[in-house]
Amino acid sequence: MRDVDGRRLTFHLAGINNQNFLMRDEETGSYWQQISGTAISGPLKGRQLTLILSDELTFRTWKAEEPEGMVLKPVVRYASEYEAKDWDARMKLRPAVIQFPEYGMQSRDLILGIQTLGTSRAFLYDRVIQEKLVKGYVGTQPVLIVVGPDGQSVRAFRDRIPGVDGVPDFYRLNADKPGALMLDAGTGSEWNFQGCAISGKAKGGCLERIPMLKDYWFDWRNYNPQTTIWGNTTR
Amino acid sequence: MQRSDRTLWIFVLVACLAGSLVSVAYPLYVIRPFRAQGARELIAALVVARYGPLVSAVSALAAVAAAVAYWRSSAPLLWRRLAAASAMLVCVLAVLARVNVFESLMFHPLEHPAFATPSEVKLDDDDKLIVVKIGGSARAYPVREMGYHHVVNDMVGGTALVATY
Repeated sequence: MRDVDGRRLTFHLAGINNQNFLMRDEETGSYWQQISGTAISGPLKGRQLTLILSDELTFRTWKAEEPEGMVLKPVVRYASEYEAKDWDARMKLRPAVIQFPEYGMQSRDLILGIQTLGTSRAFLYDRVIQEKLVKGYVGTQPVLIVVGPDGQSVRAFRDRIPGVDGVPDFYRLNADKPGALMLDAGTGSEWNFQGCAISGKAKGGCLERIPMLKDYWFDWRNYNPQTTIWGNTTR
Repeated sequence: MQRSDRTLWIFVLVACLAGSLVSVAYPLYVIRPFRAQGARELIAALVVARYGPLVSAVSALAAVAAAVAYWRSSAPLLWRRLAAASAMLVCVLAVLARVNVFESLMFHPLEHPAFATPSEVKLDDDDKLIVVKIGGSARAYPVREMGYHHVVNDMVGGTALVATY
């Protein structure tokens, strides 16, 4: 969100800080760190932008969910210079200027990062894609990470069914088709990729969404020095 | 004009030149891609970037005044020309301090984002999008475009947001 203290800000890309970019707002000239949304210099120093929940989905999955949605149009003047669709995979080849060679991690390993109540955990992206359904904890928060029917889109939820006591037991359904993606034994309900039950006792209910950031290891680790990691046991 | 006055004008010119050079070069040096930034130097560079335009503008005025005064003195012609050239250089730096290399040259901001329906855009099914949904309004920002523009100021479902990638 770009309203701060009742003032609407307009942001520009204004610099680089260890390969995470800086934004400048034209109203006050303050500088903001992209990853954290925190102003690090200028009159608004210390202020924080409110994070809005977002997803990284494939076009196929998104347009099936939101046929009435609107897509950012390419600017004709720049379209020929646009990036390839696998931008993050190609950027992996670029050198990183800061290194955190812990746990056998490479700087440009892609992770899915989750922060809850002061703790943070990085889930190895490639492993999540392989597993398709990952259950775990970030601090005391139970999380459920689900890969979509396209095998590429990923969402995170709180691993509790609202209104139902106890720990749910979600299974991944084999059919990679839109619609039912998971089944939970407790309520006998099928769940879709939006985290909503489409059959069974829990029908109509939805799991609580958890914000998740796809990032390179070095960047996540730089801003989450206490982070733990899931999925690198094979190294 | 006294010799000590001439020394003073030269001193002013050199100070102005140094001040505006730092104003332009230091932020560029620190905040450039593919370089590790230390926390302190980054904050210093941002302060210089913030006050650089003002410092260099004042320097330009002072340098021109000093060069004019020096020109009218009895100093050798070569020195007077050098003084004039220095003042011009300070003026050029004052202009450069107003150009944000990142905002206008290295990256291309998307000033007026426009939108289309899913059927109107040419995207592959496996193209990735950053998507949000607010108050019933769904919005998607293709990674191809975001990897280029990086920052989009937008309004979605009545909420002002900035999409970043």
